[in-house]
Amino acid sequence: MSGQHAGEQESGDKWEVQLRKGCLELAILAALWEGRRYGLEILRRLESDSDLIVSEGTVYPLLTRLNALGLVRSEWVESDAGHPRKYYSLTQAGKRRAMEMAGIWARFSTSMRKMLAPLMKEDK
Amino acid sequence: MTITGESQRKIDDYLGRLRARLRGMKDEDLREIVEELRSHVIDKATASATQEDATETVTVLAVESAVDAALAALGSPEELARQYMTDNLLAQAEASRSPMRVLHGLLQWATLSLAGFFVLMGSVAGYFFGVVFILVAVAKLFHPHTAGLWILPSGGGGTEFSFRLGFGSAPMGGRDVLGWWIVPIGWLAGAALVMLTTHIAVWYVRKYRRSMSLP
Repeated sequence: MSGQHAGEQESGDKWEVQLRKGCLELAILAALWEGRRYGLEILRRLESDSDLIVSEGTVYPLLTRLNALGLVRSEWVESDAGHPRKYYSLTQAGKRRAMEMAGIWARFSTSMRKMLAPLMKEDK
Repeated sequence: MTITGESQRKIDDYLGRLRARLRGMKDEDLREIVEELRSHVIDKATASATQEDATETVTVLAVESAVDAALAALGSPEELARQYMTDNLLAQAEASRSPMRVLHGLLQWATLSLAGFFVLMGSVAGYFFGVVFILVAVAKLFHPHTAGLWILPSGGGGTEFSFRLGFGSAPMGGRDVLGWWIVPIGWLAGAALVMLTTHIAVWYVRKYRRSMSLP
């Protein structure tokens, strides 16, 4: 592999990391859409339905930030496991934000799919 | 299933390192973070240890390696602390509006992005000139003949403005532009600059915190 090719590979990876980061917040809000969940449940949802997780640790500071911004609220709930768990649910502001972001995402992905149609044809 | 002493010690050690790096955070927030991560590690380790061994007897060894894996998956406590601290510092800057808090938050932001670096530079310049105006206004009271905003002939035949605190002698060929007016103008302009700088910096911080790009 030539040096230039390796450089291209690296910037492609970096781009993917940025994309994932940019989408993680919407994915978390979406994971809470159907009701309250605790951190590990959100993580599992993200792992099963997406490949957005870069590091598990990233989700917790993000949840704390969403909480501070008033997009989610949290409550401690006792569990059968013998220790309490911190559950998150969407606030009204969080629901609005999720809807707004989902709308932007839908428009964005539609136009990108159109743009990329010629490339995808060639791939096959 | 119980977490053994050795694994418990590893969890405490990890959380201790995290806690040590979350300086300046409110006790309540600190406790929330630590307890949430503790419950995550225990849940995760319990789930993966019992999954591996469907028979109810989960070996001590399985639990220990599950705890290790759960801690490793969280990333280093230092990196995790950095992620928590960033938003905490920016939130404090946004809420308090004190120049020191603002600069502290901006310093953290500047380590993360170019935008943060530029906002920090702009704010430092704004605060610097604000403080200079105020200092000159104060100095005028003690050095009436030499302190003030002077206009001086510069080397290339042009002129330049110079804020002087009044130490030393009056510059040759220079003119004190504002005279005693520097006292009210200095105070007003200085205070206005500091407030304006804070206002603009907080506006950027607010925008940044609500953008999706925070790492």
